[in-house]
Amino acid sequence: MNDERGDGGSSPKDANDANGNAEGEDRTVGGAASAARVRVAEVAKHYEGTEGPIRALEGVSFDVSDGEFVCLVGPSGCGKTTLFRIIAGLESATAGEVFLNDERVEGPTPDMGVVFQEYHLFPWRTVRGNVGFGLEKGGIDGEGGIDGEERRQRVDRLVELVGLEGFGDSYPKELSGGMKQRVAIARALAVDPDLLLMDEPFGAVDAQTREMLQSELLDIWRETGKTVLFVTHDVEEAVKLADRIVVMAKEPGRVRETIDVDLPRPRARSDAAFGRYYERVLGLIRGERGTPDV
Amino acid sequence: MATKTDVDDGIGGYLDGSIAAIDPRRAVLGSVGIAGFLALWWAASLVQPSYVLPSPAAVGETFYAEAASGEMATAIGHSVRHWVPGAAIGTTLGVAAGVGLAWSSVADDVSAPIVRTLRPVPPLALIGFAIAWFGINHAGAAFIIAVGAFWINFYAAYGGVEGVSEDLLDVARSLGVEGDLELLRSVVVPAASPEILTGVRTGIGRCWMLVVASEIFGVPGIGRRILRASNNLQVDVVIAYILVLSLMFLLVDVMFRAAQRRALAWR
Repeated sequence: MNDERGDGGSSPKDANDANGNAEGEDRTVGGAASAARVRVAEVAKHYEGTEGPIRALEGVSFDVSDGEFVCLVGPSGCGKTTLFRIIAGLESATAGEVFLNDERVEGPTPDMGVVFQEYHLFPWRTVRGNVGFGLEKGGIDGEGGIDGEERRQRVDRLVELVGLEGFGDSYPKELSGGMKQRVAIARALAVDPDLLLMDEPFGAVDAQTREMLQSELLDIWRETGKTVLFVTHDVEEAVKLADRIVVMAKEPGRVRETIDVDLPRPRARSDAAFGRYYERVLGLIRGERGTPDV
Repeated sequence: MATKTDVDDGIGGYLDGSIAAIDPRRAVLGSVGIAGFLALWWAASLVQPSYVLPSPAAVGETFYAEAASGEMATAIGHSVRHWVPGAAIGTTLGVAAGVGLAWSSVADDVSAPIVRTLRPVPPLALIGFAIAWFGINHAGAAFIIAVGAFWINFYAAYGGVEGVSEDLLDVARSLGVEGDLELLRSVVVPAASPEILTGVRTGIGRCWMLVVASEIFGVPGIGRRILRASNNLQVDVVIAYILVLSLMFLLVDVMFRAAQRRALAWR
């Protein structure tokens, strides 16, 4: 397992970072952790279709280590989103299991911060209201919750972390797509999850915004030390972000291959090594055989 | 980073949106409409005896006389005393039942036959029950009004809750919200609040219409006054109190709309 965190990133946030540590509890990465953060074990999902049973997923297995950034890519129809929902506990698998910290996932849990492509912000809540949503329940970390002042500070830190200072009192309708997704990310991070689980989070924003959000996500990942599982159909995005890429194939949806991306960050599309990874993953998705090894 | 878009018309704009935001063009056209209507009415009243159609001026005089004598205030006071509890109870129960049945498929299935049987019953048909259960008093009249408010709110809330996005519920669950009550409070009701508030507003208006019906069996109030005047062919009094009903409705509606606008500023 490579543990390069790509320290080439000279984000302005690095300079005056005071909030990063407050969010992340465990910054050790790489070989230290023996147990996987996430273990997907032989997951299958079958539907009854009009023309017989559909095998949306079959025997899907892979692990995500602590602190790792893993991208799940595959052609449309390979069951990526179904798998995402099963891992998130929003849907049940026909067979197989998902473990988070060696505990079986039985349903949605605040131990996973879930980010959807379509943001799904609570429109009646302001930016702060959305970010603070998961903190209002009182039961955070089973410690009887956090009080108003602490909560306020935490929300402030998160709003700042995702670069939305000054928009705390805005409603979602007043925000652009990219800003909404920043709110969604901050909201997911608020409950201090062990895993950030994202389903094509930047699929609905324009190209420039996507690029900006990608590098911001890497900054956040670096600052918080979270484990990230990121679903995308965009090969370039996967190569740019991931420590490891899980490439899926369809009919039935399954893992085709897992590729370690051994490139320093930030990664440039123009880089020759980047191109080789890109071609290889693309070849796997297209179902080509005998693609050259990187 | 995109720039912040305008925050509608600011917080102050919501305070009295419906009064302050009248645009002059519409005000002028509206006045023309009123003037035209009064002119037609006046012209028609010239060729009809006053017990069929009194002139606008005669109605105005009656209106003033009723207001000056205190009759009007008394009638309004009586009506308010069953309108307020009737509307409040009917609205509360209607919203609660609508939210509850839309949320729980079991409760929905259990209650569906009863709901469909009771739904078409006009509140007026229940006067017998109003008298038997409550008597000829404000409580009886409030009962009739509550029944009317109930169904409007029931269906509005039901539809609103059915339309709540499953995705928002997924988000809430993944953020640790557990249990029906908690989900209802934190997601379902706020998400359905536009529909619920529209229902409340419609219901409040409907309750003013039901004021007349609810007083038909002898409870005093605006409606009673209209019915009594009708029996005596005092059409000017009838019209004067119809005007009172309209004004009461308008007053409440404007106030509610302002509150609604503020509550839904996020839309």
